[in-house]
Amino acid sequence: MIGGRDKAFSSSEAFMSTELDASSAGAASSSQLQVENTEVEKFSYDDQIVRMFVAATIVWGLVATVVGLLVAVILVVPWLTGGLPWISFGRLRPLHTNAAIFAFAGNAIFAAIYYSTQRLCKARMWSDRLSKIHFWGWQAIIVAAAVTLPLGISQSKEYAELEWPIDLAIAVIWLFVFGGNVLMTLIHRRERHLYVAIWFYIATIVTVALLHVFNNLVVPTSLFHSYSVYAGVQDAFMQWWYGHNAVAFFLTTPFLGLMYYFLPKAAERPVFSYKLSIIHFWSLVFIYIWAGPHHLHYTALPEWATTLGMLFSLMLWMPSWGGMINGLLTLRGVWHKVAADPILKFFVVGVTFYGMATFEGPMLSIKSVNALSHYTDWTIAHVHSGALGWNGFMTFGMLYWLLPRLFQTKLWSDRLMSLHFWTGTLGILLYIIPIYAAGIMQGLMWRAIDPETGQLMYPDFIETTQSIVPLWWLRVLGGVLYVGGVVMMGLNAFMTWLSRPATYDEPVYSAPALSKHYPHQDPVPVSDLANAPVLEFGKKLDVWSKMNWHRSWERLPVKFTVLTTVAVVIASLFEIIPTFLIRSNVPTIATVKPYTPLELAGRHLYVAEGCYNCHSQQIRPMIAETKRYGEYSKPGEFIYDHPFQWGSRRIGPDLAREGGKQSSFWHWTHFENPSLVSEGSVMPPYGHLLTQDIKYGAIQAMVNAAHQLGAPYEEELQDAEGMARKQAEQIAAEIVAQGGPANVQDRQAIALIAYMQRVGVDLFASETPETDEENPPASEEEASADSVAQHSTSPTLASKP
Amino acid sequence: MSDNSLTDHAYDGIQEFDNPLPGWWKWMFVGSIVFSVLYAMVFSMGAPGRSMVDQYDAALAANTRLQFKEIGDLSADRATILAYMQKDEWLKVGQVVFKTNCISCHGREGEGNVGPNLTDDVYKNVRDVEGIARVIAQGANKGAMPAWANRLHPNEVVLVAAYVATMRGQNLPGRAPEGNPIPPWDDGSPESQNVPTDGAAADDAGTTEETETTEDGETEGGGA
Repeated sequence: MIGGRDKAFSSSEAFMSTELDASSAGAASSSQLQVENTEVEKFSYDDQIVRMFVAATIVWGLVATVVGLLVAVILVVPWLTGGLPWISFGRLRPLHTNAAIFAFAGNAIFAAIYYSTQRLCKARMWSDRLSKIHFWGWQAIIVAAAVTLPLGISQSKEYAELEWPIDLAIAVIWLFVFGGNVLMTLIHRRERHLYVAIWFYIATIVTVALLHVFNNLVVPTSLFHSYSVYAGVQDAFMQWWYGHNAVAFFLTTPFLGLMYYFLPKAAERPVFSYKLSIIHFWSLVFIYIWAGPHHLHYTALPEWATTLGMLFSLMLWMPSWGGMINGLLTLRGVWHKVAADPILKFFVVGVTFYGMATFEGPMLSIKSVNALSHYTDWTIAHVHSGALGWNGFMTFGMLYWLLPRLFQTKLWSDRLMSLHFWTGTLGILLYIIPIYAAGIMQGLMWRAIDPETGQLMYPDFIETTQSIVPLWWLRVLGGVLYVGGVVMMGLNAFMTWLSRPATYDEPVYSAPALSKHYPHQDPVPVSDLANAPVLEFGKKLDVWSKMNWHRSWERLPVKFTVLTTVAVVIASLFEIIPTFLIRSNVPTIATVKPYTPLELAGRHLYVAEGCYNCHSQQIRPMIAETKRYGEYSKPGEFIYDHPFQWGSRRIGPDLAREGGKQSSFWHWTHFENPSLVSEGSVMPPYGHLLTQDIKYGAIQAMVNAAHQLGAPYEEELQDAEGMARKQAEQIAAEIVAQGGPANVQDRQAIALIAYMQRVGVDLFASETPETDEENPPASEEEASADSVAQHSTSPTLASKP
Repeated sequence: MSDNSLTDHAYDGIQEFDNPLPGWWKWMFVGSIVFSVLYAMVFSMGAPGRSMVDQYDAALAANTRLQFKEIGDLSADRATILAYMQKDEWLKVGQVVFKTNCISCHGREGEGNVGPNLTDDVYKNVRDVEGIARVIAQGANKGAMPAWANRLHPNEVVLVAAYVATMRGQNLPGRAPEGNPIPPWDDGSPESQNVPTDGAAADDAGTTEETETTEDGETEGGGA
């Protein structure tokens, strides 16, 4: 694929325009202006939409960080919520993550894309109306999220918690309104080639749409509830394919695009290396998508998948650093400006945190490191160095650069901007350093085994939590500083806005439209080896490595989009297809049965309350874990789990073997107020579960949906409600027998207790004769089931008496 | 390092240098790919003991050896439990098992909470020291005291039973005493005398408990 045949050097673009378009009169092309046969068109840029997204970014940035501060505070002062369900940690943490990602970072990247795409394409957005629909549609989605998440309406998949009606709205607004508008703008551009920032925007739009749609495929049971179509191992795989790539394609690629536009603009320096842009773009896009399974090391996900995830994460290190290098080395020669300009300081710190986080990511993906870090605060520190440092500071730098330009006046206070920089930087450090320490400390305490007795050194889980609470307090301090910085920025922006002109100046630019056919030929580079005695192939390789072939791709936005899509789809299918098709990935366990109707209702409560935010349900095959929690989790145990509830953080202990571990009355008391039975617990009281009634009427729809997804129900399909009531009465009677209150059979806690008592017990259940009929012996399955049985023959496992 | 020439393109005034890939970057990228391919090959060829589960099984065997090499397989009989009540280093093991699994109901010091106080002198489902091990393994009072046979190594059951037995008589303030007085653990009666009691307790554990609950008519966490 070598550009053109003609060796004559021709100018890249031949439509450099008038004096109005001063900014784009690049030195390189101005000397080689050619006049094309196309007529010169006049146009202006839509900056109103950028102003709107900038305002939204600041408002939601404040909301996201304040909610973050709130959840940090209620971890150290759990009684502060007063037992109010909608401000419990489990419901607010998804609100914090969604607000930070989709509201704050989302609006920031829209502002960046709308501002830079128009200028990089010398074209107004294709449709002002679509831009407005995008803006208001997205804000409506955010508001819907801010209402539904505290109400406990949740799918429980991290960063994909929003229920299906909102998901549909996101898909439409993102792909058709936003994506369509951008693609049409690219098609109607007046700049022949696409700049690297645009490549990253294209990758963002395509991949986020793909991830969002396929992770959110559900069977609805009502307007506010649905079941993931995937179960257990597959659901976990899809979720972290999504979750990891949400970080990649929502928090990385658009911000790299942002960096490639705003950093050289602010520094007034050429980008360090065009070739590096090409290589790190394609390698990043292709490799990132494989890395998701590293979130599931040592879980029931097959080991080949997590190994693949680890290796691709390692290969991702340099492609990520390519972006960092291209950012930082662009500043060579202008470091004196960095010393003087807070905007460049924001960018430098942002890019540096990107470099640190993308070194740490591959490191955390190494199995033995992950064995320590997983489920601890280490992960929390890692994402916050990325979110606060990279996403936050790149956004702040961009906003401070944009404010005077958009509001066509001076920034209200340069000193306040500088103060924001220093406060924010200190805030990040005060957040992440204690939380790194907390993560490593708690991880070490969990795994510590007395070398003499072979027993856990810290058998009491609460002891390990209590020991990191002082570090959680330091995080609150860091959070206060960071929020303080955002408040300063809000004030600065507001005051700047106040001194805006009565009407905004909207300059008119002119540039020729693009001709249908590219009238030039790309220069064909001459191999440095032209006269050297090497094989012809070597010369061709040398020419290819000069990467001029990429130039023609940059002229073809549709082809570029298709190629990007192919890169991410192919990489995804390599992992998704085997995960779904190879049956030995999930060996069947004959004793694992679907949930009863009441347990389904209880599981719904578990999901709605966001229990997965603090409790994992996945015991890893490690001595310290099986000693603390019980036999490690097997893939076949989760085949009826729509959605999976493996969790990613243990603020409380793992619950994968919780069934039968405590009495029902203990659970009742624990929900009433955890500190009654676990002194020092940071879990909030769930008093409302003890007073509100089970919605028996909704259970039949859940059973039917679960049946549709493969649960072999019979009687349940006729009388789910009756069966649920009967089981509730049994449990209520148990609670009375154990000394609890009477007449509680209709309370929500009963359903949740029914679920808790079921979690993880099927593995030990004795087989009933009918089981064999349901699982006709298939040779492959049997072999796998046998191997599971073998692995489970550990001293801690005996058949149930 | 001096820059190569600029490329011939510019976008909205942004220019790009035609610099080559930094050498260290290029070679580390290549190196990570080569390493990954080799690792994948070695991994997929497989070898006994390399998989996650094999490593766990090996570690578990080693851990069990470490814990119990000295004592072999204990049986939950009276003599054994009484003997281990005297061995401080093994009581410590019992204490860890207790802290891992029992404190959420019986309190950190055994003073009782949802479950009975283990430091007083009266017991609900236990008549002798081996009864403690039985209740731990099989549970009592309709699941109020869960069965731990699935979750604990048989030796751990014996050791935690011994540890619980040593708590008797401390009378820590906590949950009020409940149940019936029983003879001291080392009541000198020969084994044979114990057999009838033992058998009765094992056979009708459920019935006995129910009766007790009715008699007491108050909150019972089950257990010892």
